Amino acid sequence: MGRVKIAKKSTFIDMTAMSDVTVLLLTFFMLTSTFLSKEPTTVITPPSVSEDKVQETNYVQVLVSPKGQIWLTMNNDTSADYSNEKMKMALLDKVTEIYNEQHKNKPVKFTDQQKYAFSKLGSFGVPMSQMGEFLNLAIKGQEGQTDMDKWLDGTDNNPNHISGIPISKEQDENHLSEFQMWMKAMRQTDNPKLAEKIKDGSGVAIKADQNTSFEVIHTVMDNLQTIRMNKFTFLTALKGASE
Amino acid sequence: MAEIQQNDAGGGKKGRQKKMAIRVDFTPMVDMNMLLITFFMLCTTMIKSQTLTIALPTNEKIENKENLNQASAEDAVTIILDAKRKAGSSEVDSVNGKVVPVVYYYEGKPGGDEGIIGADGKIHHENNNLKESAFLSSDAKTGTARGIRELIQKRNKAVLEKITELKKKYENGGFGSLETKEGREKAQEAYNKAASEIRRDSTLAKPVIIIKSTPNASYESLINVLDEMQINQIAKYQIDNMTQIDSVMVLDYRGMLNK
Repeated sequence: MGRVKIAKKSTFIDMTAMSDVTVLLLTFFMLTSTFLSKEPTTVITPPSVSEDKVQETNYVQVLVSPKGQIWLTMNNDTSADYSNEKMKMALLDKVTEIYNEQHKNKPVKFTDQQKYAFSKLGSFGVPMSQMGEFLNLAIKGQEGQTDMDKWLDGTDNNPNHISGIPISKEQDENHLSEFQMWMKAMRQTDNPKLAEKIKDGSGVAIKADQNTSFEVIHTVMDNLQTIRMNKFTFLTALKGASE
Repeated sequence: MAEIQQNDAGGGKKGRQKKMAIRVDFTPMVDMNMLLITFFMLCTTMIKSQTLTIALPTNEKIENKENLNQASAEDAVTIILDAKRKAGSSEVDSVNGKVVPVVYYYEGKPGGDEGIIGADGKIHHENNNLKESAFLSSDAKTGTARGIRELIQKRNKAVLEKITELKKKYENGGFGSLETKEGREKAQEAYNKAASEIRRDSTLAKPVIIIKSTPNASYESLINVLDEMQINQIAKYQIDNMTQIDSVMVLDYRGMLNK
């Protein structure tokens, strides 16, 4: 009896179809993705039934840490006339003006290089008196980036470096806290769309952790109320109406 | 698929070539694509955050107090947000790093008509009309409201009944056909307008809710209470500061004041 011969079959698996699928998926993710911007603190926003979507362009984000530190992000139009870089440079000029008016004996001044570095920042938040030093790090490029991150995280072990824009409970229209100065400068922006959105409230988004105490939130709200920014939005996570 | 067949057209000639199949191995390509997909999947945010819009009054001092709108005692419901405290102290008691919300409320004036602090300056416990409630969602099976929602719905009954009627009308096509997308949008707009009119209808009995909060209450509970306003169609509510009486009532409720 002859042995049954098993035909040798090739183990070659055709990967073409697989490749097609992955390329399709890849294209989908590439087109839909918006990159997470790096933020100095991670917060979990509280759930809410509200279904209004967050603005994609032309809004100011106020990030509040549970300790009460504040960082701002300015998102402008995609158009070249009102690009982030241009608007941020103008913003720094305006806030310097407001700041120097109130601190006549300790004015701050920025070089063109520092201003350019500021325009490239994502979220920002250091006291005005330290802004120059902070921007010098930004000018250094990659090497300065790690130092900047450490500064913002509070891990650089330098007690003089303060992270977060100073905010105060005791403030009035003649004694603005630095946070109010920034917000005032934001409102005076040349970008008409952003200015309009700030006016109707959709342009100011407060992002805070769900465990943040009411005291901290109240201070932020109170500061905004004083400069007559009575309308704003809270960023929340989605929750079903039945929950 | 990944092979190319080479058929020689001629035949019968001498140096005839063997049939060759060129196969391209796509495995590395797939590997690379998978890596890229993983990268993009991890870097993207699919779920967009939601926003809750809020409008507050200005901080300007009002000179003429007569112009202020006072909520009448029968309409007023005061909700006080707080965090769970450790027994017998005012330290915040958190569970798994999460602040546990506590919510109190009273209807009308603090301490009723008599007031919690009497004419003799002493605290009258029997007048404390503060009650404790909780943020509870509606019952999953029966749909009945519980906790603070039950109270708000009871107080806002007249408005809610009309809104329910309106919703039925909307669903039955009373505001226009829901068949096409355009029709739906139009009907939705008309519905929203009618609903907002009902919410502001001054002939209906509806509460004015005053939201107060202790400094330790969490941001989450503030959002929760604002949500309740939206769910229960409350037109008039405000965020206010705690008064001394409010603090006394909360402390008295927790039994922290000596009898």
